[in-house]
This record gives sequence, structure tokens and C-alpha cells, in this order.
Amino acid sequence: MKAITANLGYFFKETFTLLKLNKLSNILSLLSITLAFFLLSLVVATWLISTEMVDVLQQEAEINVFFSEGTGNTSHYEMAESFLEIQGVQASRVVTEAEALERMETILGEESEVLTYFDENPFESFVEVKVDFEQVGAVKESVSAHEDVRYVRDHQEVLDQIRNISALQRFLGTLFIVAAGTATLVIISHIIRQGIYHNRQQINTLLLLGAPNFFVSLPFVLSGLVLTLTGGLFASLLTRFTVGLGYAQLATPIPFIPLPPQELLVQNTTVLVLGLSIFLGLSGSIMGIRSSRKEESL
Amino acid sequence: MITAKKLSLQYPDGTNALNEINLRIKAGELVYITGPSGSGKTSLIKLLMGMEKPTAGRLEVLSHSMNRIDVKRRMLLRQYMGPVFQELKLINGRTVLDNVILGMRFLPIPKQQWKTLATDALEKVKLSHKIFSYAENLSWGEKQRVAIARAIVRKPSLIIADEPTGNLDRKNAINILELLNSLKQEDTSVIITTHATHLIDSDIVDQLIQIEAGQLQASSMEEF
Repeated sequence: MKAITANLGYFFKETFTLLKLNKLSNILSLLSITLAFFLLSLVVATWLISTEMVDVLQQEAEINVFFSEGTGNTSHYEMAESFLEIQGVQASRVVTEAEALERMETILGEESEVLTYFDENPFESFVEVKVDFEQVGAVKESVSAHEDVRYVRDHQEVLDQIRNISALQRFLGTLFIVAAGTATLVIISHIIRQGIYHNRQQINTLLLLGAPNFFVSLPFVLSGLVLTLTGGLFASLLTRFTVGLGYAQLATPIPFIPLPPQELLVQNTTVLVLGLSIFLGLSGSIMGIRSSRKEESL
Repeated sequence: MITAKKLSLQYPDGTNALNEINLRIKAGELVYITGPSGSGKTSLIKLLMGMEKPTAGRLEVLSHSMNRIDVKRRMLLRQYMGPVFQELKLINGRTVLDNVILGMRFLPIPKQQWKTLATDALEKVKLSHKIFSYAENLSWGEKQRVAIARAIVRKPSLIIADEPTGNLDRKNAINILELLNSLKQEDTSVIITTHATHLIDSDIVDQLIQIEAGQLQASSMEEF
């Protein structure tokens, strides 16, 4: 430990000498690593977004109950009251025609002008029933049995589709982590092997002088770490920029999509990418050193 | 300090580099190993430094059996040695001072003393005026001195110089040998290999070992 602290300056100097040795090769490797990490963090970000959507939609599970023509507003209120007795119903309230129109105006925002082309309010009154997610099916069945109910709408299909997308993204995310990880390991291991080959005389001299393995190896481990960590940092900055751009694009046209907080999303992907870059940098360097050890007696 | 009994070394291609050599070197001795090129001098040095393992016989260096030495013990043993390699092995792109300090970075010597010790060693080899010169810009004789400074700065128990006069003119060769001869101390042995027997000052040498075709031809000490 003493030898490490006493030689910190030497190790960093050696690390940057190694990185300067194959400038072009190292720059290209850095670009590849950045790109791999960037793609990975984008996949992970979309995965986190879809997971959030599923969670939010599950928490807000609700069904909308529409009535047969001829049923008056009074009976709507009575029915809304009676739905509260069904097991699994958390809340139930009537949404009038006017409120339905108002909601659509809020959702459409600047585009709500399109609603002025209707002579009459195109929306009808309905009952909004908040339901325990696990019991949506049973509640839907009970409500549908009522003779004045014409149609019950739930979000099950949408939820199922989002859940499928989320599963696909989880699969792709895992695939990407494996692919980016393998590619980074191969790149770093190759760079380290190259560095060891170019420095084999210096390594040999150090070993003949009695230098311990850690003393000889540490600059190589650090150079691998610097490459992956820099790649991870660049990828995180790119992700921050891209997510910001994506959120700005999504906010106006489809404001009702439940997105996780932007800062939290960026923070989570950054932690993941930086953690992975440290792990892969260390593993790749150690792999490179181990495979060279057989040839260079390191 | 060093004991060899019926020491042999055969390379994988079948070449017999050393054949049943017996020798004993005590602490504080100045020993010259001579012989023509290819006689086995460098092979003996390789065995002493643990770069090769004996194929037969026994070799003990600084109380370590070189027949069974593992990587860790070999590393520790080398820390007690001050090697001056035939090809010098200085690191280009580094200053003379950096090269000398490199020899003690991993030894139990406090960092605060590195610069002072390196400067003292360079003063001893008369190179204190070149401490900030880059290794690649020095003459061979100067490089030789830096390699010696890197060896002595470690305060080794054993200094091994392999053909230190190889690329030098007569005047520089004598200077280098005088310098190496002066490094002998009570607890520091010096082993020098050379084929230039005419440059050896036999008055100060404790042992003169002559090797030819891998066989010990003559030694100023008794054989076992």
C-alpha cells in the first residue's frame, strides 16, 4: 500500500504515457466505447420509461362506464353510488358531458381548436370508477351486468401492450448490456495487450530489478480504466442531452404519457453506465494483463 | 552468498550452456568471470538472477535455492541485487534521474530519500551534471554509468555486471572497471563478467573464474 501511495504520481504519468503511445488506436477505441455505452444507456432509459408507464397505469387503474340512451343524469349518480359497493372499487364519480369536453381540451392543448368544429358537445356523460388493479376483471363483469350499462371501457389492452413493450425492452436492455460489455472487454483487453507488447522491454527491466507484479501492472489497469470511464462520461453527457431533447419533444404533443422525472432518469442511467464502465475497465485490463502474462512473463 | 554444486544448464534446443560447475562466492568478494564469447558467462548470470533454472546440480544465491524458487521469492531476491545488464536496459524518454530512481521505487526506501540517494549515486559515477539529460541522448559510456548508479542506489548485497566493457574503448573500459571494483564492500559482493582479461587488475580481485565451452577451466579458489 505504501508503495502505491508513494508512486501515485509515477503511476498516473505512466498511464498517460501509455495512452499517448497509440493515440489513434486509443481515440478510436474511446469512440467505440462511448457509442456502445450511449446506445446502452438509451435502451436502458426507454426501458425505465416503459416500466414507469406500466407502474403509473397500474396505480391508476380505472374503468369508464357508459350508459344506454334514455337513462337520465339522476340514475347516473345513483349507479355511481351503487358501484362503490362492489368489491375492488376504490372511488366512483360521474363525469358530465361538460367535464369530458374540458378534459379533452386540456389534453389537446393548442390543438383543442379542433373541438370548435362540432356543433354540439360530442362527449357523453359517464361514470369513472377507480379500481384495485388486481380486480379490474371482476369489477368490469359486475358493472357490465347492470341493465342500463351500454359499454365498459378499461385500459387492459393498452396496459398489456405497454407491458409487452417493457418486457421486450428489458430483453433488449439485457442483450445490449451483454453486447456492449463484451465489446468493451475485447477492446480494452486488446489495448492493454498492445501496450504491454510495446513496453515489453521496460516491463522486463522492471521485473529483473525485482518490481512486484502490481507495480508493473497498475499503469495498464489505470489506462484501461481511464478509457472506459471517459467513454462512460461522454456517453452519460450524450444521454443527458438526448433525454432532454426527447422530453421536450414529448411534452407538447402527448402530455398525458406518464414519464419518470427527467433528472431521476438521467441520474439512474448515469450511475449504471459509470458503474459498468468502472467494472468493464478493470475486468478488461486484468484480462489483457493475464493473457499477456503467458507471452511476456509478466 | 553463492554456492553452485555440479551446476548445469541445458537450453530447450539441446545446447549445453554450463556443465557441472562448482563455485563459491563469499560476501564482500570481487569476482571476475572470464571466457570467450559464448563460453557460458551470460548463462551463469541468468542462473544467478533466476532468469533460467538449473537443469542439473544445485545453486544457492543469497540463501535462496534457485532450483525451487517461486515467482514471489525470485522477485524478493532480485530486490537484493544490483544488476548492470549487457544491453544496459535504461528507459528511453526518461531522464537520468528518473532512471536511477526507478530502481528503488518499489523498495522499502522512504520516498523523501529517493532524490538524495539518486543524486549521490550519480555523483559517485561522476554524472551529477547530467541528471536531467534524457537516457537516449547519452554516450554508451555515460549510459553504462547510469546503469551502475541504478544498481548501487539500491544498496544491494550482490552487484552483477554482465560484460560492462563490451562497447567501450580501452580508456572508458578501464574507468568503468575501476568504478565497479570500488563498489566491493564488506557486505556487498561484485561479480563482473568480461572477455577482456587484459583489463583486469589481478591485485584486487578475490576470485578469477575462467569458463570455456560451459566448463570451469580455472578458479583462484578451491573446487568442491
